[in-house]
Amino acid sequence: MLNIDALMNCFGNSACLVTQSATGLIIGMLLFLVASGVTLIFGVLHVVNFAHGAFYMIGAYAAYSAYGVTGNYYLSVLAGAVAAAIVGVLFERLAISRVYKENLLMQLLVCYAFVLICDDAVKIIWGAEYLAMGIPSEFRVPPLRIAGGVVPPFYLFLAGSALAVAILSVILIRYSRFGKIVRAAAENATMVSVLGIRVPLYFAALFGLGCALAGMAGALAAPVRSLTPGMGLSILIESFIVTVIGGMGSIPGALLAAILLGFTRSFGSVGFPLFVDGAMFLMMVVILVFRPQGLLGERMVR
Amino acid sequence: MIKTKQADLSRRKFLATTGAAGVATLASPAILRAAGSPIKIGMPTILSGRVAILGETASVGAKMAVDTFNAAGGIDGRMVELVIRDSKGKPDEAAKVTRDLLSSDGCALILNGEASGGTFAVHEVVRDTKTYCMHTISETSALTADPANRAPWVFRSARQGIHDAISGGLYASQLAKAGATRWATCSPDYAYGRDTTAEFMEFLAVFAPEVELVGETWPKIFQPDYTENITNLLNFAPDALYSCLWGGDLVAFFDQSSLYGLFDQFQTVAVNMGDVPVLEAIKNLPSGIHSGNRYHKDIPDTDANEAWNTSFRESGQLPTNWAWQTYTGAQFVLEALKETKGETGHEKLADATRGRTIDSPFGVNGTVTLREADNTLVDYAIGYGQTVSEAPHMEGFQPTGWDVIADHEADWMKRKNYL
Amino acid sequence: MNLAHPFVRAAGLALVCFVLLIVLALVYPGTWLLDTLTGLFASGLLVMSLHLLVGYTGLVSFGHAAYFASGGYIFGMFLQTPDIVAAFGAWSVPVATLLALLGTGLFALVVGLICARLSEIYFAFLTLAFQMLLVSVIQGLVQYTGGDQGLMGGIPRPEFLGLDMVQVKDRFVFSAFLFLAGVLVIRLVTLSSLGATLRMVRDNEVRTAFLGVNTYRVKVLAFTIAGAVAGLGGVILAILTSAAYPEWAGWAVSGEAIFTIMLGGLHSFYGPLVGVVVMRFINDVTLIYTTHTDLAKGVAILFVVLVLRRGILDWIIDLRAARRGRKEDDNVSRALSKAGKEAEDAAS
Repeated sequence: MLNIDALMNCFGNSACLVTQSATGLIIGMLLFLVASGVTLIFGVLHVVNFAHGAFYMIGAYAAYSAYGVTGNYYLSVLAGAVAAAIVGVLFERLAISRVYKENLLMQLLVCYAFVLICDDAVKIIWGAEYLAMGIPSEFRVPPLRIAGGVVPPFYLFLAGSALAVAILSVILIRYSRFGKIVRAAAENATMVSVLGIRVPLYFAALFGLGCALAGMAGALAAPVRSLTPGMGLSILIESFIVTVIGGMGSIPGALLAAILLGFTRSFGSVGFPLFVDGAMFLMMVVILVFRPQGLLGERMVR
Repeated sequence: MIKTKQADLSRRKFLATTGAAGVATLASPAILRAAGSPIKIGMPTILSGRVAILGETASVGAKMAVDTFNAAGGIDGRMVELVIRDSKGKPDEAAKVTRDLLSSDGCALILNGEASGGTFAVHEVVRDTKTYCMHTISETSALTADPANRAPWVFRSARQGIHDAISGGLYASQLAKAGATRWATCSPDYAYGRDTTAEFMEFLAVFAPEVELVGETWPKIFQPDYTENITNLLNFAPDALYSCLWGGDLVAFFDQSSLYGLFDQFQTVAVNMGDVPVLEAIKNLPSGIHSGNRYHKDIPDTDANEAWNTSFRESGQLPTNWAWQTYTGAQFVLEALKETKGETGHEKLADATRGRTIDSPFGVNGTVTLREADNTLVDYAIGYGQTVSEAPHMEGFQPTGWDVIADHEADWMKRKNYL
Repeated sequence: MNLAHPFVRAAGLALVCFVLLIVLALVYPGTWLLDTLTGLFASGLLVMSLHLLVGYTGLVSFGHAAYFASGGYIFGMFLQTPDIVAAFGAWSVPVATLLALLGTGLFALVVGLICARLSEIYFAFLTLAFQMLLVSVIQGLVQYTGGDQGLMGGIPRPEFLGLDMVQVKDRFVFSAFLFLAGVLVIRLVTLSSLGATLRMVRDNEVRTAFLGVNTYRVKVLAFTIAGAVAGLGGVILAILTSAAYPEWAGWAVSGEAIFTIMLGGLHSFYGPLVGVVVMRFINDVTLIYTTHTDLAKGVAILFVVLVLRRGILDWIIDLRAARRGRKEDDNVSRALSKAGKEAEDAAS
């Protein structure tokens, strides 16, 4: 099961080291983009969005259709994010907002229902067959060679944009007027509404923003994924592991955990290929037992 | 229950055309009864989730066979009805659906459209309940090769993994002789992927003993991201790669690998590459990938096959490997029913099926046979070729002779203590 | 011994049900209903035992399917070992059942000891993580568990006490016995002082602790009992399908179990059973017309959560209570029922 030799060889070999490290970062960044949406929504609205994978899927499918029409990858990424945001706002207004005050179970159920409906809706609209968008022509180039390691330019773009967008949204929440109002409203909605601010709209906008992050991740990755109904599930599970390990509500925590997970995958597949998934769950168990608030999370009072 | 609409239509058409002339015959009670109650064939399959395409194309194949049969008059005027149910790809659900088809829908026999996992669940049910059954999808060799799994009334109209392994091993040994001796594998981490890969490597070693396995990587089934597997393959630096990834997973693996220029660096044998939806889904298909034939309209290159391809595509679906296998399975079942005159007792039907040869667009010599010794399909077109970027996407096809396959299969069964 | 009365009544009810089910097995001519009910017994025990945690203790476990699967696997792996079956002979099935019950209980105890330290969402995630870990282990230990293909080749079930598990009626009777035994255990727990303590923990854990109750120990105990009973459900399904699959431990099974409880009614003891029947009904009926069962299920969930805002049985009980309240003129009794309802609301 354990292949220490292979792992040591890899550490001693610059080609392998560079390739696998880049792999870890690439996997991590995309995970981070999805997980930052989960953690943003939880951190402010205290809702665990179990439907996040569905928005990832919506983003990917919307990008696929937009790419078919425009042939422009960047426009399709935008389309994916916008589509996810629109569906997200509708979902928040029509369903989630009605269970803000309910317990975790009710929220879980509403999300579960939404995922079921979304998967079937995608099947009705786009069909059950897997779809492939194909790699945009500008990225159909030979990979870069860095110190013997191999790094595809497309993945550099992917990781870069994921990081940039996630950081931008943090800045938005921390320092903009919008962000301040939303956080204040989450603390005391009555007080903020007394100031003449329409709190529900701000909540919906924030929820939409979180979903847009997932949608954008789906759209960004669409060229190298096969699109199928239900594709959001595995990404949902991984982004929850990231969120829990990093700390529910902490975006820097999500970044740290996403990179940690990325490296577990990339070096794990060299050193302990059969236990990569198991290792991720084990990390989650250890964190929950010894530090339930996560690596960088704040201790929640109930 | 998705009743075949076409079946209803053709039944109505049939009754309309024969009705006027046949009033006198219909008056006879035995025939009245026979014509009145269709024989129901239950088909559990996967119609939702990530592999819904399996059940959808398999259903089209089964319906084609049943519709043709009914339009030709059924069994002396008695029609056959297909009852298709979704198992969602879960083995326990497949077992439940099969039991329901038998006990509450009144199905007399099973045309099983489940993938390998579900197939073993259905297999237990039909063994338990002594129901005649045709497995049409699962390629797992042990299903019919291992005597412990056999039941005399259960058949398989699908490819068998070991046949593909012999064909693939023989083909790949040429690559080895040309210098590709260091091999790596990248296959899905579940029973089908592990068995198929082990069988391929076993026969590659039989035909080219100089081959050496330098590394293997096992992505999970439905894994969205193969980056770590791809970079691992780069580290192994093999001469050739074997993969039995399939469907959407293969498409994603392919697109992601091309970013790393993987296919410029070594030869690739991907047995499931030749499936039509995969070939059509991959944009900018590279040339020179080695693949098995799965279903292809030019293999064998006959009018019958071309006609079947055209008529299948009228359904709006692409013809898949699953489609021809289920079509063939349904044909065998219908032929057997005709011989028993509609009797559905498991032993009678099994006797009518065992060893039977039928005309088929997919046979190497225009026929396929359910081999008497182990109730599995033989004489179907099998071999390997290379991809080309333009349609029909495949060239240089090398068929493998069934005499060769039979010899090596017998040796393999001895090694496995199956004989 | 004033507690003896409800205990005896519960046991009597279970006995009556058992006799009725035996009569049903004897008079029913076909197999469909019996097999369907056997399947419902299995899911019934899964949700009833989860209800003990979710509804009575306030512990939302996302990983309850782990114990369901564990029961099925222990039962199956035990009986698939030829030497053991040869040694126990006709007693193999009962011994395997008992072993599955105890083994699963032990497994739940260990996980419970770790998980019960956490509360709310962290508890939910930790149970989920253990479930995923179990799935990885089942899929990894291919030579013992058959990996992703499950326990293949059938589970031998030697005859015992004249019951042959291959026969539909015999299988039904034994499953009914296991089911009623499992439900009875949960009923007795909820009626006992332990049940009262669990409800206190659910309503306010801190205050319960102030009363000198070791809430950690109580929660672990509930978790263990619930796990063991869920394992019994897995045994029933393993008997029915003559196999066990890693999907049984999947998150989807856990998720659906939670939904079933909510659908049937979180605040009534028999609510989850109503949920199981309705769920099966939705599934089977929509399957006849379409393959879009997920869409139908999704819409049904949204209806229950957003419109009814409570489970079906809860809704019926509330409706009846409201009607009765209108009919009764006696002010005192109305006040009493109102107070009772308030207490109930507060409890939830």
